[in-house]
Amino acid sequence: MNNMTSQQRKLVYLIGIIVLLIPIIWLSLPSDGKNKPGGVLSQLRSQYELGESDLGDVDASSAAMNLVLLGMRGVAVNLLWMDLDLQKDMKRWAEMQATTESIVRLQPHYEKVWDFNGWNLAYNTSAEWDAVPDRYYWVKQGAKFLKRGVERNKRSTELLYRTGKVIEHKIGYADESIDYRRYFLSDPDPAFNKGPDPTINPEGKDNFLVGKEWFDLACESELTRPQHILDRSLFRATPARCQFDYAQSLQKDGKFGEETRAAWEQARKDWTEVYGREIYHAQIGVEESDIRLEMTEEEIKQVAGNPDDELRVRRAVDAYQKMTNYRYWRTRAFAEAEQDTAEAHRSIFEAKQAYKAQEFDNARKAALSGMEGFDKLLKRPEYAILVEEDLLCEECLLGWKIWDDIYKVAGEKIPDEFPLKWLLELKQGNEQLMASVNKQFRRLFQDNR
Amino acid sequence: MYFDPAENFIYPPYAIYNWMIVAGFFTAVVLVVSLLTLLVSKGSSGFGVFFTELIGMLKDVFSLSPRRIWALTRLTFMEAYRRKALAVFVVFGLLFMFAGWFMGDSKEIQPDQVKVYISFVLTAVSWLTLPVVLILACFGIPEDIRLRSIHTVVTKPARRIEIVLGRMIGVSMIGWLVLSVMSVVGYLWIVRQIPQASQELLKCRVPIYGLVSFKDREGNYGKEGINVGDIWAFRSYIEGATKSRAEWRFFNVDETMLDSEGNLRLENSFSAFRSYKGDMTRPLFYDIKLFNIEHPEISYTTQPQPVNEFRSKQDIIPRKVTVDDVQYDILNDLTTKGSDKVPKGILGIEVACIDRDQYIGMARSDLFIRMPDRPFWVGYWKAIFGTALTVLLVSMIGVAASTMVKAPIAAVLTAVMYILSGKNPHQFMDQLVAGQVQGGGVLESVYRLVMHLGPSTELPANPAFTVVQIFDSILMNFLWLCKQVIPRSQYFNMPEYVANGFDVPWATSLIPSLLVTSAFIIPCVMMGYFALRTRELESK
Amino acid sequence: MSQSEPVIEIRNLSKIYRDFWGRPKVRALNSLSLDVRKGEVFGLLGPNGSGKTTTLKLLLGLLFPTEGEITILGKSAADVSKNERIGYLPEESYLYRFLNAYETLDFYGRLFNMTAAQRKERSEKLLDLVKLAPQARRRQLKEYSKGMTRRIGVAQALINDPDLVMLDEPTSGLDPLGSRDMKDLILDLKKQGKTVLMCSHLLADVQDVCDRIAILYGGELKVMDRVDTLLKSEDKTQINTSKLSAAAISEVEAVLKRHGASDVSVDHPTATLEDLFLKTVQESRDRPGHRNVADRTSAT
Repeated sequence: MNNMTSQQRKLVYLIGIIVLLIPIIWLSLPSDGKNKPGGVLSQLRSQYELGESDLGDVDASSAAMNLVLLGMRGVAVNLLWMDLDLQKDMKRWAEMQATTESIVRLQPHYEKVWDFNGWNLAYNTSAEWDAVPDRYYWVKQGAKFLKRGVERNKRSTELLYRTGKVIEHKIGYADESIDYRRYFLSDPDPAFNKGPDPTINPEGKDNFLVGKEWFDLACESELTRPQHILDRSLFRATPARCQFDYAQSLQKDGKFGEETRAAWEQARKDWTEVYGREIYHAQIGVEESDIRLEMTEEEIKQVAGNPDDELRVRRAVDAYQKMTNYRYWRTRAFAEAEQDTAEAHRSIFEAKQAYKAQEFDNARKAALSGMEGFDKLLKRPEYAILVEEDLLCEECLLGWKIWDDIYKVAGEKIPDEFPLKWLLELKQGNEQLMASVNKQFRRLFQDNR
Repeated sequence: MYFDPAENFIYPPYAIYNWMIVAGFFTAVVLVVSLLTLLVSKGSSGFGVFFTELIGMLKDVFSLSPRRIWALTRLTFMEAYRRKALAVFVVFGLLFMFAGWFMGDSKEIQPDQVKVYISFVLTAVSWLTLPVVLILACFGIPEDIRLRSIHTVVTKPARRIEIVLGRMIGVSMIGWLVLSVMSVVGYLWIVRQIPQASQELLKCRVPIYGLVSFKDREGNYGKEGINVGDIWAFRSYIEGATKSRAEWRFFNVDETMLDSEGNLRLENSFSAFRSYKGDMTRPLFYDIKLFNIEHPEISYTTQPQPVNEFRSKQDIIPRKVTVDDVQYDILNDLTTKGSDKVPKGILGIEVACIDRDQYIGMARSDLFIRMPDRPFWVGYWKAIFGTALTVLLVSMIGVAASTMVKAPIAAVLTAVMYILSGKNPHQFMDQLVAGQVQGGGVLESVYRLVMHLGPSTELPANPAFTVVQIFDSILMNFLWLCKQVIPRSQYFNMPEYVANGFDVPWATSLIPSLLVTSAFIIPCVMMGYFALRTRELESK
Repeated sequence: MSQSEPVIEIRNLSKIYRDFWGRPKVRALNSLSLDVRKGEVFGLLGPNGSGKTTTLKLLLGLLFPTEGEITILGKSAADVSKNERIGYLPEESYLYRFLNAYETLDFYGRLFNMTAAQRKERSEKLLDLVKLAPQARRRQLKEYSKGMTRRIGVAQALINDPDLVMLDEPTSGLDPLGSRDMKDLILDLKKQGKTVLMCSHLLADVQDVCDRIAILYGGELKVMDRVDTLLKSEDKTQINTSKLSAAAISEVEAVLKRHGASDVSVDHPTATLEDLFLKTVQESRDRPGHRNVADRTSAT
């Protein structure tokens, strides 16, 4: 090289540059829309739908920022994540949210980023605040953030699911869920005039129903773009489970009329007629067969073909049903449709209210009535499966606990025989259940203080 | 606030005393090294050369001409102007045109959002100004030498120290010009961005802090309360319904600390921690007891007050309070009267958490007497003044560095100095030097990395590793030395005060940063001068 | 020239350029001693790399000598105050290209602590002196041609009305007209009693204006004397007359022969500095260490 003149060297550089440029240009030739497909990169981009506008709404500022940073995006993002961590530790929430904004502008199509930060806002940040309206504000921020993530990443099944999860689970099942669910319909922020925050609840629906809508979208998206959060059979159960949540929450709120019955009826339909009819692929013998959670004898025979495989199909269906707790919820849906069940629920609810109000006689009476109702229900053979699960038992035992406590407080002797005694004896060893019952009972007590 | 302003307090006489020791030591090192170099290279005639040079340098220092310095300043200024350095305004304009995109919508303004706006403006202004200053400072003199235009200057009666000074002042002035234009625009932007209804969020609170100590649940004094498991141990917690208390003492309390209606305004930003959730709709409560520290039985306790977490809450205490039909004057009865042992005007304040098994957290700066607010612009311009000092500091370091090394290296050096000047880098360096960082020094950690050894694995005891450790400790000592000359920008934290709605205090922000900046003036000028004077301006 | 006081005294001046590690790389100047006296025009000659510019830069304090002493206007080269009375025109005019002519002179004027009024008056005078077109005076220097840059360079060198003017290649790159102006200017400076030290390799120019010259080769002084003395061959006699007829010439030749003159040739005189220069360079190559230097301390 040294014995070349500077002109020769420049020429060599020029040739080198051109030689290297040719493949780059060829690879990155843009397509002109319809006729010419463009270069390899452009073809691949449209094949995998990776164009900025295919992925979701185009955000000009984010695109501009990525261009301005040239190749330094990774470095910038790293620094921002470190900042985020520090700000989180130091509880500098506003700055943390601003940093989050910057991060998603740099990584707008990185689903985990939306997922993580949305979760962080809804679950971690909210928990740091003391006042419930403040907590709710941050839960909402998390949900809104995830919703924007969905808008920027139209094809993301997981972000649809996460958004639904915050609305369904965080709002519906947090310790503060009673307030959260109320706020979801009537926001504490005066800006919304006691209505819902239209960004996350435009139609003013119950949070479980809004969650269900998100899960429905997620399930629809899941058909073309698989998710990696849950087993497929569990994932697809989410909309119907939301309907169950909704129906139960109506009961919790003390509503036992037609609305609640209709909700249970809808839940039953969603569970057995929609979710139960979903097709899964299971290995039956050597080949894969389509099975459903809800299969008639005829269908089983049709899928199986021979008696050996018939057994295999039954086993496979059974395995799926166990995994999703399918039979319990099916039974529950049928049981809840009965008038007696609704009455039993009502009695327990009344018992709780009366106990809170320190009307102990009424409470004892109502509790006993509820216990009797459930005693009858659970002893019926077709509903035996409901005993296996803690969910309903918890309510039953809470009723007993109230009933039992009033005797103790009054210093009266507890009758030897009482409804649900068998259930109590059965469940006495189940510490988790008993702890949960005690906790709920204590809460009645504390509210009373 | 997420820091205690007191940690940035500098006691000026002590600072000056320390500075003199360091500067004296440094000068001595430079002189001895120069003398030895001359003696080695020139033999005994080195003495003569040394003293001639020394006298020459002193003569130059005392024959500075303001007109020449001003000429060189103007030259720097015109150079930057004619070479389109002010194009940075374009970037600035673009940034502010699109800033709204990054800031979220401005319809619902929360106090926290105001904080983000202010931080954004103050950060953007300094991050746009400093690179310009850095480049101008580091490239000015080396370019002058490379293009040899400096030949026409040093062959005039211009002293080389005047060249250094002229460059420093010129670059700083450009920086200040850029800064002032940007900050005016930034100020208007903030004011316009915040809706009329929320304008009262722009304010400068003036706090008066006290000293805090904590009492544990048995009532024994301690420095800190309980840590409830936060990674960030800024706040200490006191337990509810026990003898646990946070106790403040405010000094020199007098009429000037009362508001116009004669009330004492106490403001707090306590945080709440629940060990069980309990009734979530009911906030945690605290109460405040004002008492005379000499006669603790003379006291007044407020009604229980709800904790307003992550926001601030004011408790207004009237001057005359009635306790059990006795009327007290908080200034005359609750503060000390002054005696041989106790000075006048000390007010004791005790905070208790009321709820059993719940905790309230606080740091020293979480409770203060709030004086009348100052307008927002006061704090804003103080913050800009802080940036102006940073501009001066960067230009001084940059110019001094550029007299010694090539321009790009000077730029990197200055940038690294600036980046390392933060609080966290200093803390990290302190830990490194103190051997508190796991994994050992440079060589040791390289070895551990390559050999996949965890930081807690003992190194085998053999001479090779002894050498490695000795080498590392030499590097560590060198790091310690370097650390001493890296400025501490933690004092230049005016934006944090303003963003949090406080006025910038003199004692813990403005004076310390002025001291830090002025500490660099003489060393930077002299180093630049020394380097430029002892250097041939052309080497073939 | 008269026996006037020396303005510049150089004694045993050596300059060794070193590399990054301090190892000697080039010996640019070797034990140079010379004086420049008040009121004379002194020319430093030499091929490229002979050490002329190095000498100049050592005098100005831009470089530091490895050995030897310099006294300039009675002060040491490192003393900045000497610059009050010195004007320097660098090899290429290294001026600030973003300033215009007025700003340039104003800037340098300020460096001499001149007042605004002085600067203004002096600038106008100098720009007229160096014949810089008035319409060019407000344009930035980066738009200037080589000749114009040279002119403004000279103007800045004279801003302080110096006693000693050092010119590095004053006529290089100038057209014949510009070159003539420059030479007139130098002679004019001499007339004003100023001392001029110039280095150049344009021999014709040196011959025209210099009183004394020194020729450097390879960092060493080879020749130093008055220009007229150097160009006069002591062992030859040159007779200049008006044009003679062929008969008259043969008559003269006869007369000369009678007086024992040998090698008689009658010709037009052509001896120039160029001959001397080439001869010196040739000799230096053939016989290193040879010198032909008039006693530097005594007047010639």
